[in-house]
Amino acid sequence: MSDTALPTCQKAVSILWPAFLTAGVATILFFTAFDPSVLLQETRFADTSRMGAYTIGFFLFWLLTTTSCALTCFFRRPCNPKQN
Amino acid sequence: MGKKDNTDSLYASDPKIYPRAVSGLFAMWRSIGVFVLLGIYYIVPWLDWANRQAVLFDLPNRKFHIFGLTFWPQDFFYFAVILIIAAFALFFFTAIAGRLWCGYACPQTVWTELFLWIARKVEGDRPKQIKLDKMPWNAYKIRVKATKHFLWLALAAYTGFTFVGYFTPIDELASRIVNLSLGPWEWFWVIFYSFATWGNAGFMREQVCIYMCPYARFQSAMFDDNTLIISYDEQRGEPRGSRKKSDDPDSKGLGSCIDCTLCVQVCPTGIDIRDGLQYQCIACSACIDVCDSVMDKMNYERGLIRYTTENAKQGKSVNLFRPRIIVYATALILMTVSLAYAIATRIPLEVDILRDRTRLFNETDEGLIENTYSLQIINKDEQNHHYIITVSGIDGMKMIIKSDTVQIKSGEVLDVPLRLQIDPYDLKKRSAEILMTVTAVDNPDIQIIEPTRFLGPTGR
Repeated sequence: MSDTALPTCQKAVSILWPAFLTAGVATILFFTAFDPSVLLQETRFADTSRMGAYTIGFFLFWLLTTTSCALTCFFRRPCNPKQN
Repeated sequence: MGKKDNTDSLYASDPKIYPRAVSGLFAMWRSIGVFVLLGIYYIVPWLDWANRQAVLFDLPNRKFHIFGLTFWPQDFFYFAVILIIAAFALFFFTAIAGRLWCGYACPQTVWTELFLWIARKVEGDRPKQIKLDKMPWNAYKIRVKATKHFLWLALAAYTGFTFVGYFTPIDELASRIVNLSLGPWEWFWVIFYSFATWGNAGFMREQVCIYMCPYARFQSAMFDDNTLIISYDEQRGEPRGSRKKSDDPDSKGLGSCIDCTLCVQVCPTGIDIRDGLQYQCIACSACIDVCDSVMDKMNYERGLIRYTTENAKQGKSVNLFRPRIIVYATALILMTVSLAYAIATRIPLEVDILRDRTRLFNETDEGLIENTYSLQIINKDEQNHHYIITVSGIDGMKMIIKSDTVQIKSGEVLDVPLRLQIDPYDLKKRSAEILMTVTAVDNPDIQIIEPTRFLGPTGR
């Protein structure tokens, strides 16, 4: 079955959803170990509240995991033109 | 088990499912589940305990309050154990009775049930909903759809507000939200969770179970021939066919199934249970309830679709105490008891020792070897305490500290700098282990002994 049979929306969701799950886990583990107010106190983001840091942190993790999921899908495409 | 999914194009967009309302024993249990679980969800943040919110996951202050207990990021261990207990409980119940979680307790099911109830109150049951969706847009359709979505969104918004109320004190949140003066992050999460509720319970419903839920994909690994499943009695039901109530099925060569398709109409995932066990089945038992009501009308025996096991279906005996169940149960009990013990004997004090990193050791004017430390002491108790710090490990060690005892308020952290001095004659090794003991003055049980090292010049 070729992946092109997937509607675009479903392709997007199939990348975003596992990324969301792992990003959630990563956020919990990361911010349990590291206090964002300590991490940021020497930087220009020192005014960010913890809630803000958690939220931004979650979306950065999501961006990272989405990238990795998307790359997996991208590299899974057959690269031998004969197979197409 | 069950027929193979004949892969009717997994990627075709599925037709919208309009589950028909159902009443009966299992529907009643699910309603009870909805009331109890959503009741807990909506009420708990409003409970108070000792002048603060009883259950508050105070992320801005990095503390979780659960009734009388306060958990810190350092207590992550307990959270991990709770997750493992939850996983074993899920395995245990799945092995015994299949997807009980999915049918009665999963938030996805519970909120979907509530949203479907609202939709039925506004739009009517399945036939009316189908008719409404087919009809062209007119004033009536707009009014009905708008009412439904208004109610859905109102409920979703309250759900989102309650969700954030678990993380910021809900009284304060309530008064600030009516003044529209929430912080940006609070607005974000209220709106995010509201839309997630609206989308998940209103639109995606059991699509979430079929396509997105990881548990749905691996739950069959916990199944064996003794697991309770919802099953259609093929031997009794086939050959299916419609008939009059007065007809004798035997003389017409028919089984008990009258092929009314109600079991398909009530199914929230749109499957036909008569095709056998399918992974889309969330074990909501709606088909059992509706089939029993049909059997009653036909004066047939109930249970054409029923909870049964693969062994029972084949006339074998059903074994409840099989190794898998015993292993899950033992693990579950052990973990729960250890967690309860660990929490009951938890010492509400945390000590972290940091050595001065700039210099390994100093030599004082008197010729003593000196090490500098910083103690981070966290009072995790509900009361304020005075603490006394002592050291041991090397004879003749002298401690230089600002005051003998330090006071730390409940839930606060204090950094205590201290220096240790020793005559190099007493120092036998270049690096020696020493112990620092922090004890609450009013309660010697609140005591932490933390090892660290004392460094000096090459020992003799």
